[in-house]
Amino acid sequence: MAKATPNVLAVTGNEAVAEAMRQIDPDVVCAYPITPQTEIVQLYAQLVADGKVSTEFVTAESEHSAMSAAIGAAAAGARTMTATSSQGFALMWELLYIASSYRLPIVMTVVNRALSGPINIHCDHSDSIGGRDSGWIQIYGENHQQAYDNCLQAVRIAEHPDVRLPVMHMYDGYVISGAIGPLTPLEDSRVREFIGPYQPVNPLLDVQHPVTVGPFDGLHGWYFEHKVAQNLAMERAYQVLQDVADEFARLTGRQYGLIDPYRLEDAEIAIVVVGSTAGTTRLVVDQLRAKGVKAGMVRVRVFRPFPYHTFAQALQHVKVVGVLDRADSFGAQGGPVFLEIRAALYDNDPRPQVLPFIYGLGGRDIFPHDIEQAFGVLDEAAKRVRRVSTQRRYLNLRQGRGLEHERK
Amino acid sequence: MAEARKRRPRVCDYYQNEDQFARGVALCAGCALELNLRFVSRVLGKDVILVGTPSCSAPVLHGQNTKAWHRHPYYACVMTGVASSATGLTRYYEKAGIEATVVCHTGDGCAMDVGFQTLSGAAERNEKMIYITYDNEGYMNTGIQQSSGTPYGAATTTTPLGQASRGKSTAAKNMPMIVAMHDVPYVATATLSHLEDYAKKLVKAKAAAKEGFAYIHVFCPCVPGWRIPSDASIQVCRVAVRTNYFPLWEKEQGVWRITYKVRDPQPLSELTRLVGKLRHLDEDEVARLQAQVDYRYRVLEALCAAFG
Repeated sequence: MAKATPNVLAVTGNEAVAEAMRQIDPDVVCAYPITPQTEIVQLYAQLVADGKVSTEFVTAESEHSAMSAAIGAAAAGARTMTATSSQGFALMWELLYIASSYRLPIVMTVVNRALSGPINIHCDHSDSIGGRDSGWIQIYGENHQQAYDNCLQAVRIAEHPDVRLPVMHMYDGYVISGAIGPLTPLEDSRVREFIGPYQPVNPLLDVQHPVTVGPFDGLHGWYFEHKVAQNLAMERAYQVLQDVADEFARLTGRQYGLIDPYRLEDAEIAIVVVGSTAGTTRLVVDQLRAKGVKAGMVRVRVFRPFPYHTFAQALQHVKVVGVLDRADSFGAQGGPVFLEIRAALYDNDPRPQVLPFIYGLGGRDIFPHDIEQAFGVLDEAAKRVRRVSTQRRYLNLRQGRGLEHERK
Repeated sequence: MAEARKRRPRVCDYYQNEDQFARGVALCAGCALELNLRFVSRVLGKDVILVGTPSCSAPVLHGQNTKAWHRHPYYACVMTGVASSATGLTRYYEKAGIEATVVCHTGDGCAMDVGFQTLSGAAERNEKMIYITYDNEGYMNTGIQQSSGTPYGAATTTTPLGQASRGKSTAAKNMPMIVAMHDVPYVATATLSHLEDYAKKLVKAKAAAKEGFAYIHVFCPCVPGWRIPSDASIQVCRVAVRTNYFPLWEKEQGVWRITYKVRDPQPLSELTRLVGKLRHLDEDEVARLQAQVDYRYRVLEALCAAFG
């Protein structure tokens, strides 16, 4: 590690991704400014202006157009990237489905931010969680290094012949995007080697072999089979995600999996969490372990395809699992990650208790004592014979403003 | 006392009410947008419902958490839905018999890019509202990115200068002209160095909005975004008018008129040397921008001559 120290840079999360993009040097980048993603686009625009990349750069007039342009470029056969956040992601929504169903390996960075209203520019996961069913592979990073590493791996995963699906990779707005953290970048030549050349399938650019992208699926067409094919590609993606991660590990020494467990082997209670909060959770796990509590954690790295088998195995021996969601699904039994985890563990024998926690909406801070409180609930539940209520529990929720009225 | 009354600018006669905004607001020093907000509010009066978006205006118009900075009813809209949401408001006000003027107030990024579709749609349906675009020629709130209001050659964070770039390579949309081509009751341009001209236009727009769509395009310099001193925003407005970079005109019920005729237009270099984002332009580039300004002015003159 000491050898690597001179290469460690202090960067913002957005700078880390802009650096990855510079090294990837995609054929086309299309984007529209939105906080907190904007910095990536600005940095990239400067690289284009300085002639340091060969990318065709499109400043679109909206995110709808940014994603449309990305789809057009990808359909023409270009290696294409974009980035967005929050409302921008929401505005892209109809195009997300089109990108995945046309099997275009676009790579998108999503800097997580809350959705309006009220307007809020801070971090939660409501934006990308909303694209859960859009047919994109979704990878969540925890820190600056992962933002960079995931961006590089995303290209390989998306373009893999077994997959050919768009990939979005996420990290927390401000907490990672704007704060400074360590980054150990790869050399340009090694990135180029890892990424390799791109061989598009049926590109529109090949005018000698004309194709139609997105023809009308008539009355007795193949829409249904088309959708099944997309799901089969998602299933094949598990292996590709792991293979690409393993290859990346050989290159960097940084090993990633579909999930990211911590002190889980003998854990009796565990928290499942997404994004930068994993760092705080690790700290709390260590503190509880020092007190003799058998606490553990799993970070969700890949959310689509959801590695339910891996979770079921990893959490087999755990008595009570708490899921920390930084997005809510109003009217559902719990947050989106909770629902996935609970479903994944249904066939486990013995079946663990799974409890939903909601935290950090609109960037509300989460402190170690909040996570400790969640572990307290899990610990209490583990000691009981009867199962405890699966009602949502909120961490660091303020009391007093309007909620009493709603609860009447 | 009499002395003081004599010096009161004539534009004050147009004021309907006290300033409806807090005295200290969260805008930059020298921001032309702040003057625009206060001015529009004072001239149009209290019965104005504002519709705005995330933008430089948002910290003030949206308020902060549970506190407001102004006394107008306000709808905080997304950028893609301004004129259509305002349509919903005006239609129901009309049905309910409420006398009120709905004023959309957005930047150029919303009006000319991401919200252009709803603006054009509302204009075509001739919805009874005023749409005011404060044009600071880019996305200033997110950090000075180019929009389709950014002029040729301007340096922004997405059209930066570099070895392979000389700033924005294309011209700005001629937005007021585009809206005028929707043949709505009233379209005008205005700026903050010519307040009486602007006030008259607001009064006309308010009257026109009882019949249909009224549009005012306001030239609104941005101190940090354009890299100008904080005491220069009004001077930049004035020079923009005097160089014909931003001519003041109106189209009222099909009649075109230049409302402030510049007798001896200054060369555009007077503007480009004032404004940091354009200062790098060389002689040829200024000439190119000048040619574009001249062309647009001739189109305007021709329309005024034909339908004046």
